[in-house]
Amino acid sequence: MLNVMRSTAALSFAFLGGFAIMVLEIAGARFLARDFGNSFYVWVSQIGVILAALAAGYYFGGALADRFQRASLLAWLLVPTGVFIIAIPHLSGPLLDAIVLRHPADEAVPMLWQKLDPALGSAVVFFLPCLVLAMVAPCMIRLASRRVAEVGRVSGRIYAAGTAGSIAGVFATGYLFIDHLGLAAIFRATGALTIALGVVSLWMDRWLEPVGTGSN
Amino acid sequence: MKANRLLACVACCLGLGLGPGSAGAAVVFDVTTAHHHIQVVDEAEIRTLSFNGSRETRMSLKDHLQGHFQYTEYFHMPWLWNTNLTNVLMIGLGGGSAQRSFLHYYGDVNVDTVELDPMVVTIASRFFQLPATPRHNVIVEDGRQHLRRSRKSYDAIILDAYRTTRYGSFIPYHLATREFFEIAKERLTTNGVVVYNVIGSYQGWRADILGATYRTMNAVFPRVYLFPAKDSLNVVLLGTKSPEELTPPEVHQRAAALVSSGRVKLPAFQSRAAALRSDPPRTAARSPILTDDFAPVDGLLSTGRR
Repeated sequence: MLNVMRSTAALSFAFLGGFAIMVLEIAGARFLARDFGNSFYVWVSQIGVILAALAAGYYFGGALADRFQRASLLAWLLVPTGVFIIAIPHLSGPLLDAIVLRHPADEAVPMLWQKLDPALGSAVVFFLPCLVLAMVAPCMIRLASRRVAEVGRVSGRIYAAGTAGSIAGVFATGYLFIDHLGLAAIFRATGALTIALGVVSLWMDRWLEPVGTGSN
Repeated sequence: MKANRLLACVACCLGLGLGPGSAGAAVVFDVTTAHHHIQVVDEAEIRTLSFNGSRETRMSLKDHLQGHFQYTEYFHMPWLWNTNLTNVLMIGLGGGSAQRSFLHYYGDVNVDTVELDPMVVTIASRFFQLPATPRHNVIVEDGRQHLRRSRKSYDAIILDAYRTTRYGSFIPYHLATREFFEIAKERLTTNGVVVYNVIGSYQGWRADILGATYRTMNAVFPRVYLFPAKDSLNVVLLGTKSPEELTPPEVHQRAAALVSSGRVKLPAFQSRAAALRSDPPRTAARSPILTDDFAPVDGLLSTGRR
């Protein structure tokens, strides 16, 4: 029973983490358009920066998961990240302005910067929150694995759940949220979800505590 | 029966694969850029610029000032509000119909054009006879980014920057919000106007996007007029900085004066000016004002048949 609960909790966690990442990516590309347009390069930047955040998040998330082996670790990361996400529409303006307005007026921005500026903008706003959200998956793998013999299955399920959440996030944002919610509301909801995940991780801490840690 | 349908389907797909037109059409240029699949197609003395299979610009090969889509002639309407038009900004180049006719008919007007895709600039001068003149300055950049950083003032800002595919046209939403029109308004001279091409109609087909664009422009400009095209589903919206209301008789009078003084040489100017409407589209009342925060332009495109 505990095993079922444990794995359900871990899978839900991974699903919602993946969901939040892709809501940020899609709504984020829309958000960047006011400063950088919505050209091909904005999408390229947004996809590239989010993938970089995921790579870093997986790397550091895995290392932290082995080091602390507690779900509560996530609370310390997810709660401030949720606050950051809610603040995006209110605080990122001056940073993005600085990127755009550094170019001289009435001259075309050099092509190189037309390509790189959206990546800079995306990195300033979306790299950190997506990095933290990506840490969820390796932490869940660590906490849901009881024995080395099941690590393959557990990690497979966590990957699948996280990716399924990402798919849901893409379509929900593109087909529903953009048409029915403002961007600020989308960021507020995603921030609230992230904070909620952080709070739940404190509660999960009780029964996701690691067993068989002798391997350290 | 089934086989027939399959055959028809295959034939249809092949037809689509060949691009616009079929027999007698010659693709003279074909390129895929970061922004569009671009084709230049000649058929029956008409040269067409196509982006992703849709027709952006048409030009007669015999007379380069003919063959264009009629709605582009509404881009000359700013003269009705300003008889001293000197500096005009156009966002979106395409095959340059509007630029070509402005440079031809008005020897003392300077045009700045902002175009996103550098290949479109090359194509406009190579295949669409866009004249190289110091009176025309092309900037390769996003329109909104350019306006934000611009310190120039324009008598008219003309937007024709829809993005089209075989599934229809898409509005670059950052060029359709209240915040965008506010940026544009800051760059206008006292009698300045913003002219905006909407693909849609008064009632029925895509009326919601027209209503939303009307309301959004009206949130920034005290007067907004509409010029529905007669030969295509385009409505050109014109917002004025001046709160003065222009009535149809005044428009008629001004148009006649502009033509008789030789100030405006576009042949159909008076009849185009007569298309002016100032009644808001019925859909405006139920449409949202588009903002940077909430601009469901894609969702609005799927409505309008109600």
